[in-house]
Amino acid sequence: MITVNGIHVAFGRGTPLEKHALRGVDLTIPEGQFVTVIGSNGAGKSTFLGALAGDVIAEEGRIAIDGVDVTRWATPKRASLVARVFQDPMVGSCTALTIEENMALAAARGRRRGLGSALRGDRRRHFRERIAELGLGLENRLHDRMGLLSGGQRQAVSLLMATLAGSKILLLDEHTAALDPGTAEFVLGLTRRIVEENRLTTLMVTHSMRQALDYGDRTVMLHEGRIVLDVSGEQRAGLDVPHLLALFAKQRGGEDITDDSLLIG
Amino acid sequence: MSEIAFFGAVEIGLVYALVALGVYLSFRVLDFPDLTVDGSFPLGAAVCATLLVAGVNPWAASLVAALAGSMAGLVTATLNVRFKILHLLASILTMIALFSVNLRVMGRPNVALLMQDTVLTPFYGLGLPDHVVRPLVVLVVVVVIVLLLARFLNSEFGLAMRATGVNARMARAQGVQTDFHIYAGMALSNGLCALAGALFAQTNGFADVTTGIGTIVVGLAAVIVGETVLPARAMLWALVGCVVGSILYRLAVQLALSADAIGLQASDLNLVTAVLVAVALILPRMRLKAASKKREAVR
Ligand SMILES: Nc1ncnc2c1ncn2[C@@H]1O[C@H](COP(=O)(O)OP(=O)(O)OP(=O)(O)O)[C@@H](O)[C@H]1O
Ligand SMILES: [Mg+2]
Repeated sequence: MITVNGIHVAFGRGTPLEKHALRGVDLTIPEGQFVTVIGSNGAGKSTFLGALAGDVIAEEGRIAIDGVDVTRWATPKRASLVARVFQDPMVGSCTALTIEENMALAAARGRRRGLGSALRGDRRRHFRERIAELGLGLENRLHDRMGLLSGGQRQAVSLLMATLAGSKILLLDEHTAALDPGTAEFVLGLTRRIVEENRLTTLMVTHSMRQALDYGDRTVMLHEGRIVLDVSGEQRAGLDVPHLLALFAKQRGGEDITDDSLLIG
Repeated sequence: MSEIAFFGAVEIGLVYALVALGVYLSFRVLDFPDLTVDGSFPLGAAVCATLLVAGVNPWAASLVAALAGSMAGLVTATLNVRFKILHLLASILTMIALFSVNLRVMGRPNVALLMQDTVLTPFYGLGLPDHVVRPLVVLVVVVVIVLLLARFLNSEFGLAMRATGVNARMARAQGVQTDFHIYAGMALSNGLCALAGALFAQTNGFADVTTGIGTIVVGLAAVIVGETVLPARAMLWALVGCVVGSILYRLAVQLALSADAIGLQASDLNLVTAVLVAVALILPRMRLKAASKKREAVR
């Protein structure tokens, strides 16, 4: 469960470039819920996920994960509770390390790292089994450097890495934005499977209205650092893309947007 | 090259192999360009020589010297991590400060080790000539350290340190305390350089504040030569590459110096090394450019 109470984040306080990116966000996400997050460029979506992960510390308000107040915790400390996949496949993995080394790194998330070998035989076997589940044939390439994989393969492995160690929440920031439509479809299907299997409380940022409605149980829209729309259940089931686009357009000041494609960033 | 000159080159190459391993840790593993080594190498020599003169056990003296180097590494890491001073500048500050510290430690610019026992003493007179014993003893030390270091870098802790250097943002998201790993890596790196200094003092019979000049460039040269002759991915072989690179570099220098036709003097060494490292850094870039030009021409 995630409880966010009135958080504010500002960049460059006191400079001419001051940017108040989050202006009082309140959100409670029950255990196991899958929330999709939409909003135009600069709305504060990444900042919000960053605030949950600890990359930016909220200057006001409170964040609790599973009842634990993490407002002041830095990223490494929160890592025991938070798993994430980044938009850029380069950011989410170590390209210079091998696939199995990346997996070993992720498998120790939130644990003390000792002087024992990171890649003992039993662990290697476990990694091989897990990566075989992806169905990409990567189980024979564990010794390859991560940088040799395609963007889609890397995002698939990143998703898998997010599940190697236990976590309370999963944060996905446009994790399919850098992929071609077919690969994006595959990674999204994988996302759904992994979220369901592990019953993870999930936030997924997307620019596609279609995806926002097709995936998950709840959709929130951010605009200028505030939540301006929050739909779930029957209300959400009754929404279709044109409806959502109309709502989206209203928030942007009445611009007429008729096509989903405009928004796919 | 005479036999003595050959063994001499191997010996000094092995001593500086420890510097190369330290430089590999900072430059390659942590991606932290660290010039502290120009100060931590003579610091190790100074501390060790001073302790030997005071009658301390040679192994204990070497260990204390290594610890002193680690402290120097921690100072640089603190300036960078805690006080956000650019890594190069932070390391230059420590290096300059160490010059004064080293003079204080010895109380004078140099200390000679004439009658003192060193880690080598027990091995002299066992039948092998001294100029063979010295590189052999250093070789054993280097082999042990390479094995330990490879084990360390393949451990969970070491893997986290490597991730810190490759992609700090990802490492933090995986729960790695990146700051702590920078401290640990810098301490280890400079500890190795100081240990090299301690062995240098014991094999050469003196410690001198000026021996540190250019240490970083020699270490880098060894790392680069090693990567060229042994382009390995596996950790152990990358480390072996540093050692091999250091020895090859010294043999090449010895060859150049002994070829009278070239007319090089020992004092030209730093110039030659700097040119070598510069060329090694420029070449890959030129090759990239040439390759992209060729591609354009094809198009
Ligand atoms: N590190 C930073 N320093 C200064 N300003 C920032 C920083 N990060 C974000 N901002 C600003 O904060 C605002 C919100 O940015 P954010 O990245 O959260 O938007 P977003 O909703 O993720 O947009 P996009 O859809 O383009 O990814 C933007 O105006 C952005 O310019
Ligand atoms: Mg964003």
